[in-house]
Amino acid sequence: MDPSLILQAIVSGVLASGLYALVSVGLALAIGVIGIVNFAHGEFFMIGAFLTYTLFVVFGIDPVLAVLFVAPALFLLGAVLYRSTIQHVLSAPELNQMLLTFGIGIVLQNLALLIWGGDPVSIAGIEYRSVGYRFAGISVGLVSLVSFAVSLALVIGLNLALTRTRLGRAMRAVAQNRTGAALVGLEVNRVYLVAFALSALLAGIGGVMIAVIQSPTPTIGLAFTLKAFSITVLAGLGNIRGILAASLVVALSESLVATLVPNGGTLSNAVFFAIIFLALVWRSRRTV
Amino acid sequence: MKLLRDLLPIAAFALFLWFLPDLLRAFAGRASVSYLSLVTNGVGLAILALSWDILARTGQLSLAHAAFYGTGAYVTAIMARHLDLPLWIGIPAGGLVAVILALGVGAVTLRLRGIYFAIATLAFTEVLKSVFRHLPTPFAGGAAGINVEPLFRPVFDAATMERWEIAFFRNEGYFLLYALLLIITILLSLMTRRSRLRQAFTAIRTNEEVAAIMGVHPARMKLLAFALSSFAVGMLGAVHAHRVGSVVPEGSFSVETTVLALVTPIFGGLYTTLGPIVGAGMLAGIEETLKRNLADGYLIGYGVVLILSILFLPKGLVGTTRAWWSRRQSKSMDTAEEGSA
Repeated sequence: MDPSLILQAIVSGVLASGLYALVSVGLALAIGVIGIVNFAHGEFFMIGAFLTYTLFVVFGIDPVLAVLFVAPALFLLGAVLYRSTIQHVLSAPELNQMLLTFGIGIVLQNLALLIWGGDPVSIAGIEYRSVGYRFAGISVGLVSLVSFAVSLALVIGLNLALTRTRLGRAMRAVAQNRTGAALVGLEVNRVYLVAFALSALLAGIGGVMIAVIQSPTPTIGLAFTLKAFSITVLAGLGNIRGILAASLVVALSESLVATLVPNGGTLSNAVFFAIIFLALVWRSRRTV
Repeated sequence: MKLLRDLLPIAAFALFLWFLPDLLRAFAGRASVSYLSLVTNGVGLAILALSWDILARTGQLSLAHAAFYGTGAYVTAIMARHLDLPLWIGIPAGGLVAVILALGVGAVTLRLRGIYFAIATLAFTEVLKSVFRHLPTPFAGGAAGINVEPLFRPVFDAATMERWEIAFFRNEGYFLLYALLLIITILLSLMTRRSRLRQAFTAIRTNEEVAAIMGVHPARMKLLAFALSSFAVGMLGAVHAHRVGSVVPEGSFSVETTVLALVTPIFGGLYTTLGPIVGAGMLAGIEETLKRNLADGYLIGYGVVLILSILFLPKGLVGTTRAWWSRRQSKSMDTAEEGSA
């Protein structure tokens, strides 16, 4: 096998890991702070992508500018969903919480199917979409490069915000001990609301990127929920720091399988799900 | 006596199902063809829901129902294509292979609970979907799937039949098969409700460690529940494959099947036998109305029902009604005692 092909696969994998980390970090935030495993997380990502597409097709707004609309819109969506639904099941059994978010995911996905139909949509005709660079036989797209850098910046920024800012410290306090945080005067419910909305916002920004990189369909959400979930499981539930490394593992293995195995494009998903399955089973055997 | 109390309604229900096609034909004539297929969908939904609920009784929320459904469908399709056996053998074979598969997955995922079990079973379904897509094309059809022969081929007799009656007899055949599967599933479900399995399953659901100390074998019970739960779905998938005439990886292992299987009992009432059936009846009606008005995305109805059920009806229709009834009973008993005192 051509060594430059493997190198190319590694580079593509590394670049893809940024987006994975961005989406997963939002999920980890919701799990870590609120304790809600959000099955609708991938749908926030999908909605971000389709809002970007609509803004481009209907109003001619460039995706780079669209972020300014999409991010607040997703923040609002997250806040509304939290207030109207999630807030009411905080003390319900874990399975009820999970089923609720599963229901939200079904509604969002099918709403998108109703609005945009089931076919992939693509943002055609932006010049920078096809700009790429070549070094030593490896090609790198400008868009992937930028999305990697932005994702990395956002993930690191979130990490810093959690330790350096008032709100971030409040989130960590609430995550550690809900009652204690309330006793020292934190408005727990409000912190939860912001955390959930922020998690939707991060996924939405990821959606803007995927709208430019790929041609998404309204059904990509579930796959990304599962990807984000497996990354957070690999990183340790609620552990935001491990996300970058776990994303790298998942993205690299996907990209290597897609390149090295014949007919691997469709198989990479299967390999990926097999990894989740085996990781979960292996963990359960080890801990008990 | 207790046995009779259970069996009488089931026998009555079975009789009703047996005569339903003729009733429909007598009253609706030509339109009965589509009514029959609508009722068949409702019965299918009830089978999915009721069988899913059997496993849910042990506290395991499975997202792998589509895996057993798809396996049953593929087993019968592959058998019909490659083996020279009567077609109907594919149906029990589909159920059996689904059970074997369920025992395998069940054994591996025994220790996973809650959200982890749910995710693992969902991932398993996706893996299986890919596996069937990547099996050699001459064997299993690849991404395009395989055509499946119909089970029923009514012969047209111009002297006694009208044209539309061919479709009617074909639909009637599938309906009766579905009805048979539903009765089997009801019996399985009642068996776990009325025997000591009920206490065992409930104990595991409430607290597995305590259950184990009390002498319930959690692993064995969960595997049993998994097997009981997958048997009917495997057969349902097989019959459905013959009914629609083809199997494709995307359709046979669709998340949709899993969604239907879990929303219906939650809406109707978890851990009951009546709940999933009542839920299926109502949801099949809602689904049909939505399907007529929306091209894609009719599943949105299931999502809304799921959200509303969790928020407002955590015990489901049947559970809520029963709680209300027993409250009323106890209240009227209180007033009766006060009156006599």
